[in-house]
Amino acid sequence: MDLGSCGANPGNSPLLGRRGTKVSFVTQRPLELILARNLMSALSTPAFLVDEGGLLVFYNEAAGLLLGKRFEELGTVGPQEWGSLFGPFDPEGQPIPYDELPLVTAVRAGRPAHAELTVRSTDGSNHDVEVSAFPILTPHGSQGAIAVFWPSLANGNGTGPA
Amino acid sequence: MKVKLWGTRGSIPAPGPETIRYGGNTSCVGVTLSDGSLLALDAGTGIRCLGLSQPDEPARLHILLTHLHLDHIQGLVFFAPAFRPQTEIVIWGPASPEASLRDRIARYISAPLSPVEVRELPCDVSFRHTPESEWEIGSARIRSASVSHRGPTLGYRIDDGDSSLAYIPDHEPALGADLDELEEDWISGFELARDASLLIHDGQYTDAEYPCHIGWGHSATSHALSFARRTGAERTVLFHHDPMHSDEQLDALGADARERWVELGGDPEAVELAAERTEYELPARAASATATA
Repeated sequence: MDLGSCGANPGNSPLLGRRGTKVSFVTQRPLELILARNLMSALSTPAFLVDEGGLLVFYNEAAGLLLGKRFEELGTVGPQEWGSLFGPFDPEGQPIPYDELPLVTAVRAGRPAHAELTVRSTDGSNHDVEVSAFPILTPHGSQGAIAVFWPSLANGNGTGPA
Repeated sequence: MKVKLWGTRGSIPAPGPETIRYGGNTSCVGVTLSDGSLLALDAGTGIRCLGLSQPDEPARLHILLTHLHLDHIQGLVFFAPAFRPQTEIVIWGPASPEASLRDRIARYISAPLSPVEVRELPCDVSFRHTPESEWEIGSARIRSASVSHRGPTLGYRIDDGDSSLAYIPDHEPALGADLDELEEDWISGFELARDASLLIHDGQYTDAEYPCHIGWGHSATSHALSFARRTGAERTVLFHHDPMHSDEQLDALGADARERWVELGGDPEAVELAAERTEYELPARAASATATA
Protein backbone atom coordinates (compact mmCIF):
# COMPACT_ATOMS: atom_id res chain seq x y z
CA MET A 1 0.00 0.00 0.00
CA ASP A 2 1.17 3.46 -0.75
CA LEU A 3 2.15 5.46 2.27
CA GLY A 4 2.93 8.74 0.70
CA SER A 5 -0.41 9.72 -0.74
CA CYS A 6 -0.82 13.38 0.04
CA GLY A 7 -4.19 14.51 1.23
CA ALA A 8 -5.00 11.22 2.85
CA ASN A 9 -5.58 12.96 6.10
CA PRO A 10 -8.66 15.16 6.34
CA GLY A 11 -6.71 17.39 8.67
CA ASN A 12 -4.53 18.27 5.74
CA SER A 13 -7.33 19.70 3.66
CA PRO A 14 -6.76 23.15 2.20
CA LEU A 15 -9.35 24.50 4.61
CA LEU A 16 -7.22 23.56 7.55
CA GLY A 17 -4.12 24.63 5.74
CA ARG A 18 -1.48 22.39 7.25
CA ARG A 19 -0.41 20.56 4.12
CA GLY A 20 2.90 21.73 2.85
CA THR A 21 3.98 23.48 6.01
CA LYS A 22 7.40 22.46 7.16
CA VAL A 23 7.44 20.83 10.53
CA SER A 24 8.58 23.32 13.08
CA PHE A 25 8.31 22.71 16.76
CA VAL A 26 6.34 25.58 18.14
CA THR A 27 5.89 25.78 21.85
CA GLN A 28 3.97 22.82 23.13
CA ARG A 29 2.47 23.35 26.55
CA PRO A 30 4.06 21.21 29.22
CA LEU A 31 1.97 18.14 29.98
CA GLU A 32 1.48 19.29 33.56
CA LEU A 33 -0.19 22.47 32.33
CA ILE A 34 -2.33 20.51 29.89
CA LEU A 35 -3.53 18.18 32.62
CA ALA A 36 -4.09 21.10 35.00
CA ARG A 37 -6.23 22.87 32.40
CA ASN A 38 -8.21 19.70 31.76
CA LEU A 39 -8.89 19.33 35.47
CA MET A 40 -9.78 23.00 35.91
CA SER A 41 -12.19 22.79 33.01
CA ALA A 42 -14.20 20.25 34.96
CA LEU A 43 -14.35 22.29 38.20
CA SER A 44 -17.09 24.62 39.33
CA THR A 45 -14.61 26.52 41.48
CA PRO A 46 -13.04 29.57 39.79
CA ALA A 47 -9.48 28.62 38.91
CA PHE A 48 -6.66 30.33 37.06
CA LEU A 49 -3.56 28.94 35.41
CA VAL A 50 -0.33 30.78 34.65
CA ASP A 51 2.75 29.50 32.89
CA GLU A 52 6.30 29.59 34.18
CA GLY A 53 6.66 33.18 33.02
CA GLY A 54 3.58 34.37 34.88
CA LEU A 55 1.45 34.63 31.77
CA LEU A 56 -2.22 33.90 32.38
CA VAL A 57 -2.83 31.02 29.99
CA PHE A 58 -6.24 29.79 31.11
CA TYR A 59 -9.13 30.27 33.49
CA ASN A 60 -12.21 28.12 33.69
CA GLU A 61 -15.88 28.87 33.12
CA ALA A 62 -16.51 29.50 36.81
CA ALA A 63 -13.78 32.13 36.82
CA GLY A 64 -15.26 33.59 33.67
CA LEU A 65 -18.59 34.01 35.40
CA LEU A 66 -16.88 35.74 38.31
CA LEU A 67 -15.00 38.11 36.04
CA GLY A 68 -17.81 38.64 33.56
CA LYS A 69 -15.71 37.53 30.64
CA ARG A 70 -14.97 34.08 29.30
CA PHE A 71 -11.35 33.11 28.76
CA GLU A 72 -12.07 32.49 25.10
CA GLU A 73 -13.09 36.17 24.81
CA LEU A 74 -10.04 37.45 26.61
CA GLY A 75 -7.29 35.09 25.52
CA THR A 76 -3.83 34.83 26.96
CA VAL A 77 -2.82 38.01 28.76
CA GLY A 78 0.20 39.27 30.61
CA PRO A 79 0.12 40.25 34.25
CA GLN A 80 -0.07 43.99 33.65
CA GLU A 81 -3.09 43.71 31.40
CA TRP A 82 -4.67 41.28 33.81
CA GLY A 83 -4.25 43.78 36.62
CA SER A 84 -5.75 46.65 34.68
CA LEU A 85 -8.78 44.58 33.75
CA PHE A 86 -9.74 42.99 37.03
CA GLY A 87 -7.74 44.61 39.84
CA PRO A 88 -7.18 43.03 42.19
CA PHE A 89 -7.47 45.25 45.25
CA ASP A 90 -6.68 44.75 48.89
CA PRO A 91 -9.38 45.00 51.61
CA GLU A 92 -8.74 48.76 51.76
CA GLY A 93 -9.39 49.12 48.07
CA GLN A 94 -5.78 49.72 47.08
CA PRO A 95 -4.38 47.96 44.02
CA ILE A 96 -2.22 45.02 45.00
CA PRO A 97 1.24 45.23 43.44
CA TYR A 98 1.87 42.54 40.91
CA ASP A 99 4.79 41.14 42.88
CA GLU A 100 2.55 40.51 45.88
CA LEU A 101 -0.12 38.49 44.14
CA PRO A 102 -0.37 34.89 45.35
CA LEU A 103 0.05 33.54 41.83
CA VAL A 104 3.25 35.49 41.37
CA THR A 105 4.60 34.24 44.68
CA ALA A 106 3.74 30.70 43.67
CA VAL A 107 5.53 31.01 40.34
CA ARG A 108 8.55 32.97 41.45
CA ALA A 109 9.23 31.48 44.85
CA GLY A 110 7.87 28.03 44.20
CA ARG A 111 5.82 28.35 47.35
CA PRO A 112 2.09 28.24 48.04
CA ALA A 113 0.49 31.55 48.88
CA HIS A 114 -2.85 32.73 50.18
CA ALA A 115 -4.51 36.13 50.30
CA GLU A 116 -7.80 37.93 50.60
CA LEU A 117 -8.49 40.33 47.80
CA THR A 118 -11.15 41.93 45.67
CA VAL A 119 -11.53 41.45 41.96
CA ARG A 120 -13.57 43.67 39.70
CA SER A 121 -15.90 42.16 37.17
CA THR A 122 -16.39 43.64 33.74
CA ASP A 123 -19.81 44.94 34.85
CA GLY A 124 -18.07 47.00 37.53
CA SER A 125 -19.10 44.90 40.49
CA ASN A 126 -16.53 43.87 43.08
CA HIS A 127 -16.11 40.39 44.47
CA ASP A 128 -14.31 39.64 47.72
CA VAL A 129 -12.47 36.37 47.48
CA GLU A 130 -9.80 34.33 49.14
CA VAL A 131 -7.12 33.07 46.81
CA SER A 132 -4.97 30.01 47.25
CA ALA A 133 -2.15 29.60 44.79
CA PHE A 134 0.36 26.81 44.49
CA PRO A 135 3.20 26.12 42.10
CA ILE A 136 3.30 23.33 39.54
CA LEU A 137 6.66 21.72 40.15
CA THR A 138 7.95 18.93 37.92
CA PRO A 139 11.22 17.03 37.53
CA HIS A 140 12.08 19.70 34.97
CA GLY A 141 11.44 22.61 37.31
CA SER A 142 8.54 24.99 37.75
CA GLN A 143 6.00 24.94 34.95
CA GLY A 144 3.61 27.55 36.33
CA ALA A 145 1.01 27.87 39.03
CA ILE A 146 -2.66 27.41 39.77
CA ALA A 147 -4.84 29.79 41.76
CA VAL A 148 -8.24 28.88 43.11
CA PHE A 149 -10.70 31.53 44.26
CA TRP A 150 -13.00 30.96 47.20
CA PRO A 151 -15.77 33.24 48.44
CA SER A 152 -14.46 35.43 51.20
CA LEU A 153 -15.93 34.66 54.60
CA ALA A 154 -14.23 37.57 56.34
CA ASN A 155 -16.93 40.17 55.71
CA GLY A 156 -19.73 37.91 54.66
CA ASN A 157 -20.27 39.47 51.26
CA GLY A 158 -18.13 37.31 49.11
CA THR A 159 -19.28 35.91 45.85
CA GLY A 160 -19.25 32.19 45.83
CA PRO A 161 -18.11 29.91 43.08
CA ALA A 162 -20.50 29.71 40.22
CA MET B 1 13.73 4.30 7.67
CA LYS B 2 12.20 0.86 8.04
CA VAL B 3 9.63 0.19 10.72
CA LYS B 4 8.57 -3.25 11.83
CA LEU B 5 5.90 -4.09 14.37
CA TRP B 6 7.11 -6.85 16.68
CA GLY B 7 4.47 -6.49 19.37
CA THR B 8 1.14 -4.70 19.03
CA ARG B 9 -0.77 -5.78 22.11
CA GLY B 10 -1.32 -3.74 25.24
CA SER B 11 -1.47 -4.59 28.91
CA ILE B 12 -0.56 -8.28 28.83
CA PRO B 13 0.48 -10.82 26.19
CA ALA B 14 -2.51 -12.42 24.56
CA PRO B 15 -1.31 -15.40 22.54
CA GLY B 16 -3.72 -17.90 21.11
CA PRO B 17 -5.64 -18.87 18.02
CA GLU B 18 -8.03 -15.96 18.43
CA THR B 19 -5.23 -13.36 18.21
CA ILE B 20 -3.00 -14.93 15.62
CA ARG B 21 -3.42 -12.31 12.88
CA TYR B 22 -2.92 -9.13 14.89
CA GLY B 23 -0.56 -10.80 17.31
CA GLY B 24 -0.33 -11.39 21.03
CA ASN B 25 3.04 -9.87 21.90
CA THR B 26 3.17 -6.63 23.83
CA SER B 27 4.56 -3.35 22.58
CA CYS B 28 7.73 -3.32 20.54
CA VAL B 29 8.54 -1.60 17.26
CA GLY B 30 11.85 -2.04 15.46
CA VAL B 31 13.20 0.92 13.51
CA THR B 32 16.13 0.62 11.13
CA LEU B 33 17.42 4.07 10.25
CA SER B 34 18.72 5.02 6.83
CA ASP B 35 22.31 4.67 8.09
CA GLY B 36 21.60 1.18 9.42
CA SER B 37 21.29 2.09 13.09
CA LEU B 38 18.76 -0.02 14.97
CA LEU B 39 16.25 1.32 17.47
CA ALA B 40 13.71 -0.63 19.47
CA LEU B 41 10.72 1.36 20.60
CA ASP B 42 9.67 -0.25 23.86
CA ALA B 43 10.65 -3.68 25.08
CA GLY B 44 7.43 -5.61 25.52
CA THR B 45 7.45 -9.30 24.72
CA GLY B 46 7.74 -8.47 21.03
CA ILE B 47 11.38 -7.52 21.53
CA ARG B 48 12.24 -11.19 22.01
CA CYS B 49 11.66 -11.93 18.34
CA LEU B 50 13.34 -8.68 17.32
CA GLY B 51 16.40 -9.89 19.19
CA LEU B 52 16.28 -13.27 17.53
CA SER B 53 16.28 -11.56 14.15
CA GLN B 54 19.59 -9.85 14.86
CA PRO B 55 22.88 -11.42 13.74
CA ASP B 56 25.26 -12.62 16.42
CA GLU B 57 27.94 -10.04 15.79
CA PRO B 58 29.15 -6.81 17.45
CA ALA B 59 26.41 -4.24 17.45
CA ARG B 60 25.24 -1.07 19.09
CA LEU B 61 21.55 -0.54 19.50
CA HIS B 62 19.19 1.76 21.31
CA ILE B 63 16.04 0.90 23.20
CA LEU B 64 13.69 3.83 23.65
CA LEU B 65 11.18 3.16 26.41
CA THR B 66 8.00 5.19 26.60
CA HIS B 67 7.42 4.16 30.21
CA LEU B 68 8.06 1.30 32.55
CA HIS B 69 4.75 -0.48 32.72
CA LEU B 70 5.36 -4.21 32.43
CA ASP B 71 3.92 -4.54 28.94
CA HIS B 72 6.69 -2.21 27.74
CA ILE B 73 9.68 -3.81 29.47
CA GLN B 74 8.79 -7.44 29.96
CA GLY B 75 10.86 -8.64 27.02
CA LEU B 76 14.12 -7.11 28.21
CA VAL B 77 15.38 -10.24 29.95
CA PHE B 78 14.59 -12.33 26.89
CA PHE B 79 16.33 -10.05 24.42
CA ALA B 80 19.11 -12.16 22.95
CA PRO B 81 21.55 -9.29 22.16
CA ALA B 82 21.56 -8.41 25.88
CA PHE B 83 23.36 -11.69 26.50
CA ARG B 84 26.15 -11.04 24.01
CA PRO B 85 29.29 -9.40 25.40
CA GLN B 86 30.03 -7.75 22.08
CA THR B 87 26.73 -5.85 22.10
CA GLU B 88 26.33 -2.32 23.38
CA ILE B 89 22.81 -1.38 24.39
CA VAL B 90 21.67 2.10 25.36
CA ILE B 91 18.33 2.20 27.12
CA TRP B 92 16.52 5.53 27.10
CA GLY B 93 13.50 6.26 29.27
CA PRO B 94 11.60 8.83 31.27
CA ALA B 95 13.13 10.43 34.32
CA SER B 96 11.40 10.15 37.66
CA PRO B 97 12.02 12.03 40.90
CA GLU B 98 11.76 8.71 42.69
CA ALA B 99 14.72 6.78 41.33
CA SER B 100 17.05 6.50 38.38
CA LEU B 101 16.00 4.72 35.22
CA ARG B 102 18.46 1.93 35.96
CA ASP B 103 17.15 1.39 39.46
CA ARG B 104 13.55 1.38 38.33
CA ILE B 105 14.21 -1.15 35.59
CA ALA B 106 16.26 -3.21 38.02
CA ARG B 107 13.14 -3.75 40.08
CA TYR B 108 12.00 -6.01 37.28
CA ILE B 109 15.38 -7.42 36.26
CA SER B 110 16.13 -8.76 39.72
CA ALA B 111 15.08 -11.53 42.07
CA PRO B 112 12.51 -12.80 42.57
CA LEU B 113 10.99 -11.59 39.31
CA SER B 114 14.00 -12.35 37.14
CA PRO B 115 16.70 -15.04 37.12
CA VAL B 116 19.33 -12.43 36.25
CA GLU B 117 20.25 -9.04 37.64
CA VAL B 118 21.09 -5.97 35.56
CA ARG B 119 24.73 -6.20 36.66
CA GLU B 120 24.88 -9.76 35.35
CA LEU B 121 23.87 -8.91 31.79
CA PRO B 122 26.84 -9.78 29.59
CA CYS B 123 26.26 -6.88 27.19
CA ASP B 124 27.54 -3.36 27.72
CA VAL B 125 24.32 -1.72 28.88
CA SER B 126 23.80 1.89 29.90
CA PHE B 127 20.73 3.83 30.96
CA ARG B 128 19.95 7.40 30.01
CA HIS B 129 17.12 9.71 30.87
CA THR B 130 15.66 11.14 27.70
CA PRO B 131 16.66 14.77 27.32
CA GLU B 132 14.21 17.62 27.04
CA SER B 133 15.78 18.73 23.80
CA GLU B 134 16.20 16.95 20.49
CA TRP B 135 19.11 14.60 20.16
CA GLU B 136 20.61 12.44 17.44
CA ILE B 137 21.02 8.73 17.03
CA GLY B 138 22.67 7.68 13.80
CA SER B 139 20.98 9.44 10.91
CA ALA B 140 17.90 10.40 12.91
CA ARG B 141 16.84 13.27 15.09
CA ILE B 142 14.91 12.05 18.11
CA ARG B 143 12.47 14.06 20.10
CA SER B 144 10.48 12.97 23.14
CA ALA B 145 7.75 14.60 25.18
CA SER B 146 5.68 13.68 28.17
CA VAL B 147 2.21 12.55 27.20
CA SER B 148 -1.02 11.91 29.02
CA HIS B 149 -0.91 8.45 30.56
CA ARG B 150 -0.56 7.05 34.05
CA GLY B 151 2.87 7.75 35.49
CA PRO B 152 5.86 9.33 33.72
CA THR B 153 5.30 8.45 30.08
CA LEU B 154 6.88 9.64 26.86
CA GLY B 155 6.02 9.67 23.22
CA TYR B 156 8.73 9.75 20.57
CA ARG B 157 9.24 11.34 17.21
CA ILE B 158 11.97 10.11 14.88
CA ASP B 159 12.93 12.20 11.88
CA ASP B 160 15.21 10.55 9.35
CA GLY B 161 15.63 12.41 6.07
CA ASP B 162 12.23 13.62 4.96
CA SER B 163 10.34 10.92 6.83
CA SER B 164 9.04 11.00 10.33
CA LEU B 165 7.66 8.41 12.68
CA ALA B 166 5.59 9.35 15.73
CA TYR B 167 5.22 6.65 18.35
CA ILE B 168 2.70 7.26 21.12
CA PRO B 169 1.47 3.83 22.15
CA ASP B 170 -0.08 4.70 25.51
CA HIS B 171 -1.96 7.93 25.33
CA GLU B 172 -5.22 9.44 26.54
CA PRO B 173 -5.18 12.93 25.06
CA ALA B 174 -8.95 13.25 25.33
CA LEU B 175 -9.00 12.93 29.11
CA GLY B 176 -11.04 15.93 30.20
CA ALA B 177 -10.61 17.56 26.81
CA ASP B 178 -12.43 17.90 23.51
CA LEU B 179 -9.79 17.15 20.91
CA ASP B 180 -11.88 18.62 18.12
CA GLU B 181 -12.10 22.00 19.83
CA LEU B 182 -8.86 22.31 21.79
CA GLU B 183 -6.07 24.57 20.57
CA GLU B 184 -3.14 22.64 19.11
CA ASP B 185 -0.62 23.62 21.76
CA TRP B 186 -2.94 22.29 24.46
CA ILE B 187 -3.21 18.80 22.98
CA SER B 188 -0.96 16.25 24.62
CA GLY B 189 1.58 14.87 22.17
CA PHE B 190 0.60 17.22 19.36
CA GLU B 191 4.08 18.35 18.35
CA LEU B 192 5.36 14.80 18.26
CA ALA B 193 2.77 13.80 15.70
CA ARG B 194 2.43 16.97 13.68
CA ASP B 195 2.48 16.05 9.97
CA ALA B 196 4.22 12.74 10.73
CA SER B 197 4.65 10.34 7.83
CA LEU B 198 3.52 7.53 10.09
CA LEU B 199 1.74 7.79 13.42
CA ILE B 200 1.60 4.73 15.65
CA HIS B 201 -0.97 5.59 18.28
CA ASP B 202 -2.93 4.08 21.10
CA GLY B 203 -6.30 2.74 19.97
CA GLN B 204 -7.02 0.31 22.75
CA TYR B 205 -10.73 0.78 23.24
CA THR B 206 -13.82 1.01 21.14
CA ASP B 207 -15.93 4.08 21.81
CA ALA B 208 -18.43 1.84 23.59
CA GLU B 209 -15.74 0.47 25.91
CA TYR B 210 -14.09 3.76 26.74
CA PRO B 211 -16.63 5.10 29.29
CA CYS B 212 -15.71 2.20 31.59
CA HIS B 213 -12.00 3.00 31.22
CA ILE B 214 -11.81 6.77 31.55
CA GLY B 215 -8.53 7.75 33.13
CA TRP B 216 -6.83 4.43 32.45
CA GLY B 217 -4.46 6.18 30.07
CA HIS B 218 -5.70 4.91 26.71
CA SER B 219 -7.69 6.13 23.75
CA ALA B 220 -10.97 5.22 22.19
CA THR B 221 -11.11 4.84 18.42
CA SER B 222 -12.66 8.25 17.90
CA HIS B 223 -10.05 9.92 20.09
CA ALA B 224 -7.19 8.37 18.16
CA LEU B 225 -8.75 9.48 14.89
CA SER B 226 -9.39 12.99 16.15
CA PHE B 227 -5.78 13.18 17.28
CA ALA B 228 -4.59 11.93 13.90
CA ARG B 229 -6.79 14.41 12.06
CA ARG B 230 -5.72 17.36 14.17
CA THR B 231 -2.02 16.54 13.92
CA GLY B 232 -2.12 15.93 10.17
CA ALA B 233 -0.43 12.53 10.30
CA GLU B 234 -0.28 11.06 6.81
CA ARG B 235 -0.90 7.52 7.89
CA THR B 236 -2.16 6.21 11.23
CA VAL B 237 -1.68 2.79 12.76
CA LEU B 238 -3.90 2.01 15.74
CA PHE B 239 -1.78 0.17 18.27
CA HIS B 240 -1.78 -1.31 21.79
CA HIS B 241 -4.72 -3.60 21.23
CA ASP B 242 -6.74 -4.60 24.22
CA PRO B 243 -5.88 -8.18 25.24
CA MET B 244 -9.59 -8.98 25.28
CA HIS B 245 -9.96 -8.15 21.60
CA SER B 246 -9.88 -11.11 19.24
CA ASP B 247 -8.91 -10.89 15.60
CA GLU B 248 -12.58 -10.77 14.65
CA GLN B 249 -13.26 -7.94 17.06
CA LEU B 250 -10.23 -6.07 15.77
CA ASP B 251 -11.42 -6.56 12.20
CA ALA B 252 -14.66 -4.86 13.22
CA LEU B 253 -12.79 -2.12 15.07
CA GLY B 254 -10.63 -1.50 12.01
CA ALA B 255 -13.63 -1.33 9.71
CA ASP B 256 -15.30 1.12 12.05
CA ALA B 257 -12.14 3.24 12.18
CA ARG B 258 -11.87 3.40 8.41
CA GLU B 259 -15.55 4.28 8.11
CA ARG B 260 -15.16 7.10 10.61
CA TRP B 261 -12.05 8.30 8.83
CA VAL B 262 -13.93 8.47 5.55
CA GLU B 263 -16.70 10.41 7.28
CA LEU B 264 -14.03 12.87 8.36
CA GLY B 265 -13.02 13.20 4.73
CA GLY B 266 -9.95 10.97 4.81
CA ASP B 267 -8.62 8.13 2.74
CA PRO B 268 -9.62 4.76 4.23
CA GLU B 269 -6.22 3.36 3.26
CA ALA B 270 -4.56 5.86 5.58
CA VAL B 271 -5.87 4.24 8.76
CA GLU B 272 -5.22 0.67 9.81
CA LEU B 273 -4.80 -1.56 12.80
CA ALA B 274 -1.35 -2.67 13.88
CA ALA B 275 -0.60 -6.27 13.01
CA GLU B 276 2.49 -8.06 14.25
CA ARG B 277 5.34 -8.38 11.72
CA THR B 278 3.96 -5.68 9.45
CA GLU B 279 6.74 -3.60 7.94
CA TYR B 280 6.64 -0.02 6.71
CA GLU B 281 9.26 1.62 4.59
CA LEU B 282 9.54 5.38 4.94
CA PRO B 283 11.79 6.82 2.24
CA ALA B 284 14.56 9.23 3.06
CA ARG B 285 13.10 11.49 0.39
CA ALA B 286 9.40 12.23 0.55
CA ALA B 287 7.65 10.23 -2.13
CA SER B 288 5.96 6.95 -1.56
CA ALA B 289 6.32 4.20 0.96
CA THR B 290 5.02 0.74 1.32
CA ALA B 291 3.66 -1.54 3.97
CA THR B 292 4.00 -5.27 3.81
CA ALA B 293 2.62 -7.88 6.11
